[in-house]
Amino acid sequence: MFEEFNSETPLDQREDIVVCNNINKWFGSLHVLKDVNLTVKQGEVVCILGPSGSGKSTFIRTVNGLEEIQKGEITVDGIPLSNDLSDIEAIRKETGMVFQSFNLFPHMTILKNITLAPIWVRKWPKAKAEKIAMELLERVGIPEQADKYPGQLSGGQQQRVAIARALAMQPKILLFDEPTSALDPEMIKEVLDVIKTLAGSGITMMVVTHEMNFAREVADRIVLFDFGEIIEVGSPSELFDNPKHDRTKLFLSQIL
Amino acid sequence: MANDELTTKQVSIPETAPPKTSIGVLGWLKENLFSSWINTILTVVFGTIVYLIVVNTIEWIFFKAEWYVISANFKLLMVGQYPVEELFRVWIAFTLISLLMGLSWGIWKGTMGHLTIAMTAIYIIVASLPFVLIETRIWLLVNIALIIATYFLGKRLTKFKKYILIGWFLMFPVTMILLSGFGVFDRVGTNLWGGFLLTLLIAIVAIVFSFPLGVLLALGRRSKLPVVKWFCVAYIELIRGVPLITILFVAQLMLPMFLGEGVNIDNVIRAMVGFTLFSAAYLAENIRGGLQSIPRGQFEAAEALGLNATFKTVFIILPQSLRAVIPAMVGQFIGIFKDTSLVAIVGLTDLLGMGKNIISNPEFLGTQMEVFLFVALVFLVFCNMMSYASRRLEGALGVGTR
Ligand SMILES: Nc1ncnc2c1ncn2[C@@H]1O[C@H](COP(=O)(O)OP(=O)(O)OP(=O)(O)O)[C@@H](O)[C@H]1O
Ligand SMILES: [Mg+2]
Repeated sequence: MFEEFNSETPLDQREDIVVCNNINKWFGSLHVLKDVNLTVKQGEVVCILGPSGSGKSTFIRTVNGLEEIQKGEITVDGIPLSNDLSDIEAIRKETGMVFQSFNLFPHMTILKNITLAPIWVRKWPKAKAEKIAMELLERVGIPEQADKYPGQLSGGQQQRVAIARALAMQPKILLFDEPTSALDPEMIKEVLDVIKTLAGSGITMMVVTHEMNFAREVADRIVLFDFGEIIEVGSPSELFDNPKHDRTKLFLSQIL
Repeated sequence: MANDELTTKQVSIPETAPPKTSIGVLGWLKENLFSSWINTILTVVFGTIVYLIVVNTIEWIFFKAEWYVISANFKLLMVGQYPVEELFRVWIAFTLISLLMGLSWGIWKGTMGHLTIAMTAIYIIVASLPFVLIETRIWLLVNIALIIATYFLGKRLTKFKKYILIGWFLMFPVTMILLSGFGVFDRVGTNLWGGFLLTLLIAIVAIVFSFPLGVLLALGRRSKLPVVKWFCVAYIELIRGVPLITILFVAQLMLPMFLGEGVNIDNVIRAMVGFTLFSAAYLAENIRGGLQSIPRGQFEAAEALGLNATFKTVFIILPQSLRAVIPAMVGQFIGIFKDTSLVAIVGLTDLLGMGKNIISNPEFLGTQMEVFLFVALVFLVFCNMMSYASRRLEGALGVGTR
């Protein structure tokens, strides 16, 4: 469904889809992103790791303009991110986001949660939006919950709905900000499994996570953040088995 | 899915009966009223007081009170000086409302049904009062029959919800046109409108118009555009800093001034404008409270989906905010409904004003109690219906949240 390029093409020959060029961000006087450079290729799965407070969330939120940057450039799907609302909205159409705390709309049924944006932003007819929503619910394994409200679902189910909601816009890029951190241990797997199936579908993904095994399994590349900087970038085996940077080693020793 | 598994696999816990709390009437009395000497004394003293109040009240209501003051002035209390030969227009408006109520009852059941039943009960009570005119009785019976008929009709028309809602919205202009006159109907100046009719009209106008205005002011107050923001803040704080009576006077005196010499707006409209502007400022603050209660994640989720500011506000933020402040808003509406009695000060005779006129008539000397009690009863019934509707609405909209 997301195939717009040949997934056989090696990563380094594919088009760039997210380009972050020397981005800098301050919260007041706190410098949370320092000259961050990262280019993500179409269909690539990038996992972002790093200690708490290192700026991972802030970084991933700059990609769809939820956080403004003060210096640098971000280009998403060829659209330069500016302060112009129409640019930001165009980018958001092509990027779905899944939050740590689900952020489903509590006053709407699951089906309405999923179809809202396709109907009003993509201007799809209701029937089409609902058909696709049901397919997505099927895909995340909870079609029988369509008419319930978010409050009636377990955390794992809610997060799967949130994934379906993000997918319903048929975005080119999916952003995940610690999608399993608010879940009870027994629900983490069901959500990670859904994300894993997406990883093979050709959609570009940027995932902030603390789940090392998951990152190792799905990521094409891993980015390590510390103190607002990218410390090291590499394939899972490079980064986990053969870390180059001292801070990477330190971080891994604390986690593993 | 996971939920189901959990519930079906639940370990069965041996059933135990709840501890006995009911120990018969005597036991209850002993435990709650006569458990100690002090309690016994209190029970006796308050029992006596309550007994005296109840007995005297009943005696007064059924034997001493001169209820003919109500029966003789029933028409005045209900519609004021509205010309008798034009009263059928009021009845037509009334009947249209009954029609909508019946249909809504059939379509929505639940709260709409309860309110309609309450209204029907009021019709029945009024229709069975000994003193009402035969015409009134006929109109009321027609209305009751209509409500029941349209209820059954409504049950089949569940697909037409939208049209019924539009009907409710059109009801207001239709009523105003009917009452004030157009085309074939003669003009009935609003100076002749009075009594409960006036109370209801002012309250409904104030409620219906101050709601959207309040929403806009609340949103405006959070706007990023400084001009909009400061205008809203200034408006809200100005109105909230001034007593309602002052606003009513200002509306009476200044509105004509603002609009120029040529335009002549009648008193009732001026009062309606005053109430609307007043109520809007308070509503705006209530709604702002609701807006502030929405977690940031809701805004972000809406934005991340690409919803623009309008969609985000209309579909995500407002519905949740309004639901959170229904009790406060209905409180405000009830307040406005009761405050309509202040229009007496600017020369209009609403229900209370009419009551006061009646008791100052030498013919009905010494009947204040009866008149005021009647007025109080009417307010009580309507205010309670409003707060009942609010509680139900809250319950209905609360489905599945939290
Ligand atoms: N809205 C904000 N205002 C001020 N400071 C903020 C804000 N959001 C984040 N910060 C600060 O910016 C820094 C980076 O925060 P961020 O949430 O990006 O970290 P993180 O890597 O996602 O951490 P975690 O793993 O705990 O989620 C932290 O020091 C945090 O306190
Ligand atoms: Mg974070």
